[in-house]
Amino acid sequence: MENYIPVLLLLGFAIIVASSILVLSWWLGPKKPLAVKLSAYECGVNAEGSPHAPFASKFYLVAVMFLLVDVEAAFFFPWALVYKESLQLGPILFVALVIYVAIFALGLFYIIKKDCLRLR
Amino acid sequence: MNTVDIAILVAKTLLFYLIVLHVVPIMVWVERRGAALIQDRPGPNRVGPFGLLQPVADFVKFIFKEDPIPTGANRGLFLVAPALILIPASLTLAVLPFGDKVKLFGREILLQVADLDIAILYVLAIGSLGIYGILFGGWASGNKFSLMGALRASSQVISYEIPLGLAAVGAVAVYGTFSLREIALAQDGLWFGWLPRWGIFLQPVGFWLFFIASFAETNRLPFDLPETEAELVAGYHTEYGSMKFGMFMMAEYMNLTTISGVMVTLFFGGWHLPFVADAMLLKWIGSQNLLGLVQVVIFLTKVAIFLCVFVWVRWTVPRFRFDQLMRITWGRLIPLGIVNLLVTAGVMLWLGGWK
Repeated sequence: MENYIPVLLLLGFAIIVASSILVLSWWLGPKKPLAVKLSAYECGVNAEGSPHAPFASKFYLVAVMFLLVDVEAAFFFPWALVYKESLQLGPILFVALVIYVAIFALGLFYIIKKDCLRLR
Repeated sequence: MNTVDIAILVAKTLLFYLIVLHVVPIMVWVERRGAALIQDRPGPNRVGPFGLLQPVADFVKFIFKEDPIPTGANRGLFLVAPALILIPASLTLAVLPFGDKVKLFGREILLQVADLDIAILYVLAIGSLGIYGILFGGWASGNKFSLMGALRASSQVISYEIPLGLAAVGAVAVYGTFSLREIALAQDGLWFGWLPRWGIFLQPVGFWLFFIASFAETNRLPFDLPETEAELVAGYHTEYGSMKFGMFMMAEYMNLTTISGVMVTLFFGGWHLPFVADAMLLKWIGSQNLLGLVQVVIFLTKVAIFLCVFVWVRWTVPRFRFDQLMRITWGRLIPLGIVNLLVTAGVMLWLGGWK
């Protein structure tokens, strides 16, 4: 755990830098708010409707695909760590990889076949 | 741990943080002058010699500008978003191995903020936290352009995280460790007496995947869909002004530095000079501490080369469309990453593990 002390230290420095920039920028700048200045930027016209309008469902689709594929991809990491050492035991982890990749590829094939990538 | 240890720790952390923090103004200058060079115009050349003080002038101007919060904005999230993107960008540099080690005050000091044994996972995990800053910033701005930019940014960054991870998995399988320091140490010397023992010769496809994915991860030009100034004004930071906008830029350049550093460590020998083994370099220089300094310079030079490549690509290659962007990663990069992994594993099995 001792290795993580410098990381916490770095986190402290980063928080100090980020918050001091925020405070300085607020403190040093002039404050002359105008209704027009504070309106949402919409290329010169008045903004219509809610800024949080419903958005395209393709983003939702990407999120679902990410959840599936990234969880699968995360399982490669422990495999990679022990693979080099396991070679002395024969090809057992290679066989495991081939089986796992087959499942992975099946999922990816399904995504492509279902036309999930036509994200226009 | 006594006081000297703690002082060394604080000094070391601060030193490396400041090094990466100072890449930001240099990169602003390199980016603007590089763009000018490629587009055949002079670029910023008024402030200081060759316009070198332009980033300082930019900073002063940013910090003295008004800091407006739009009326439609969610104030809390709007304020916290730039900090949320800058802090993860600062944190990832903790695992970069700038050099081997030096001996000071009777102690061996690693030239690295923290030698974590899960360094690669750490980079991937903390690096993807920056997406919260983008998403909060875009959502809280109360602007349609910002929301569109934030959504595109998040879907792009999460999609390209997978090929990035798969490329890293290839390197991990070859070296059998997650620690960036051990990976760098394994790349010292030559194969067959003429080929540098670098990761790119073991994982050429992995490097290519990592390289492409890193452009998308840092929202750089061939994949800068979140910003697309021609369609979305400035994407998720449209409503940000003053130094809050500057913080987004800082985070971008710090991410760029970190990802270049990881790339150098995984695939380009880290702090090692090509064709010159560390032991030989030590014999020429004669001092372990001086060698450490030289190693930091070598590492930073390699990172600088990559940063210049990023600038060069940004001003040369046109932007992809969103569906093309998604098809590249889901249809090409991820299958390629898996095939790369299979081939790597197969070759390692065939060779019985390389020594």
